[in-house]
Amino acid sequence: MSEAVAALETVGLGKRYGRRWGLRDCSVRLPAGRIAALVGPNGAGKSTLLRMAAGIARPSAGEVRVFGHSPQRQTVDVLRKIGYLDQERPLYRAFRVGQMLRFGERLNPNWDAVAAHGYLSELGIPGDARVGKLSIGQQAQVAMAMCLAKQPALLLLDEPLAALDPVAREGLMHLLLGSVADGQTTVLLSSHAIADLATVCDYIIILSASRVLIADDLDYVLASHRLLVGSSEGASHTPAGVVVVARTSSERQIELLVRVEQPVTDPTWRVVEPTLEEIVLAYLREQSAVTDARVGECVEGQQR
Amino acid sequence: MIEPAWRLQRLVFLVAIVVVVAFAIWLAVTGSLQAAAWTTYNVTHHCVDVVATRNNCFALGQTYSTLNNFALVNLGLAVAMPALLGLVLGAPLVAREIEQGTNRLAWTQSITRTRWLLVKLGVGALACCAIVGAMAPLLEWWTGVIHRGARILPSLFDISGFVDVAYVLFAFMLGAALGALIRRTGWAFAVGIPLYALARFVVRDFARPSLVSHSIAVSPAVSPAAGGISSPIPANAWILHSGDVPLGRFSPAPGQTWQSGFQTVENCQVAAVSQVHANRCIAENKLHYVVQYQPTSHFWALQGIESAIFIGAALVLLGITVLAVRRWRT
Repeated sequence: MSEAVAALETVGLGKRYGRRWGLRDCSVRLPAGRIAALVGPNGAGKSTLLRMAAGIARPSAGEVRVFGHSPQRQTVDVLRKIGYLDQERPLYRAFRVGQMLRFGERLNPNWDAVAAHGYLSELGIPGDARVGKLSIGQQAQVAMAMCLAKQPALLLLDEPLAALDPVAREGLMHLLLGSVADGQTTVLLSSHAIADLATVCDYIIILSASRVLIADDLDYVLASHRLLVGSSEGASHTPAGVVVVARTSSERQIELLVRVEQPVTDPTWRVVEPTLEEIVLAYLREQSAVTDARVGECVEGQQR
Repeated sequence: MIEPAWRLQRLVFLVAIVVVVAFAIWLAVTGSLQAAAWTTYNVTHHCVDVVATRNNCFALGQTYSTLNNFALVNLGLAVAMPALLGLVLGAPLVAREIEQGTNRLAWTQSITRTRWLLVKLGVGALACCAIVGAMAPLLEWWTGVIHRGARILPSLFDISGFVDVAYVLFAFMLGAALGALIRRTGWAFAVGIPLYALARFVVRDFARPSLVSHSIAVSPAVSPAAGGISSPIPANAWILHSGDVPLGRFSPAPGQTWQSGFQTVENCQVAAVSQVHANRCIAENKLHYVVQYQPTSHFWALQGIESAIFIGAALVLLGITVLAVRRWRT
């Protein structure tokens, strides 16, 4: 529907902290309506990317656009469209939960007060509790509820699942999915819990060492990667038309994670469909080896 | 929007109000005691007129001077009040949000940071002015007790009229601006105190005497050693300069100071064998005695202009704060 304007688009985006680059030469395009996972090891630049998209970090290079507008200018237009959950879940600790929600209500014209109260009663958080007295997990849930009640077009969630127990994780994901079920909301969420993401996301961005390794449809990523298993003797050559992402070898067998354009028919290899977790881990483990392939991935991601 | 902005600052304000009310009560009590002591000493027992003849005058005088020591402390507190109040409330306004990371919450809601800042500043500034404004009548009464009618004198001027409302506004904005620039509440406060003191000092000692053109009183040349200056200066005036200067001039000649004329007169007195001789010597030097002063009638004009200076400075600081907040990024 709104394929023309991406929910989030970055071109050559970079952020330097002193001499070190927190994010470098990042070009991704997140179409509207997607639920995208942003994965990568600690320090890969996930938070940096989200902060720049939310307009609270200044890019050192390149540019970032949210629905075609720069969040850097902090216009009300863009601010209304963004729901940002910071990694530290900042809240006014002296407020009661109800007062925190009222703060959201006063500062956001699209605020859904009924939903906000609904979320918190669903999560069992009393409205008269002091925010500072809540557990870390409950604070995260209040912060999340505030993001959702704002009803933004783009949710930028930095590690929404961190510090939550498995039950709370499921609850929060349920909440998130419920509130974006209409397909009008685009979500970009960073997380380490790759297994959890596979069930909810339809887009994936893999960051490592401040670079983008993959930014594409989850289905496409799953379809275009294969795990090739062969015996050490028989697998001296890789099949034609595949790009090796990662190689693991033991005495008996070799495992290759490859990117493929068409089905692999070479009988010397046993072809297995990898899980998302396997793909992500392969990329992150072999990040240095894939640096060259990165450019191709990123361009391909943009073309599609 | 105003309600959460107020709620954020409420606690600090409530503490500030408690402290200020305690100070007000203390001021009222010591002020009343002092007023009573003065009445007993001066009005009832006429000690000023006939000190030596009354036995209890010495004791009454002692009571009064003991209370006057309190008055000195109170004066210091009253002068410091706008500074402390403004900085305590202004410094955390932006700095605390940045320290606690809540700026990342507040600045990603649906209103611009500038708007949220202005709402918070407006609420804070209003509350500051209300507290200081409420103290103004009490301070006015108190300055009357400790120094009847002489409120144009520098230290009393600072706590009289409405100028301290301008001071508190300035201190508040100074704290807010420093907080936005330094991003640390403690440092903003620590840097704010000397800066505030410097600004006040510069304006009081260098700008205020000439904010309204001063009045001049002229009389025949005298030496300071000659004692009582019998010049026609209105009561309670703020004397800026005085001295013997050449006839036709109302300030020392170029290259001379207010002391030079005194020296000349002094030399005549020392060298002269009689007073007639001395007067002739003074007359030959063509000097007259000039007093530059601000009469009490200039009080409100001085208050108005000095308030305008500090409110202007507060507006400049407001601009700096807005710019600093708009530019803030990690």
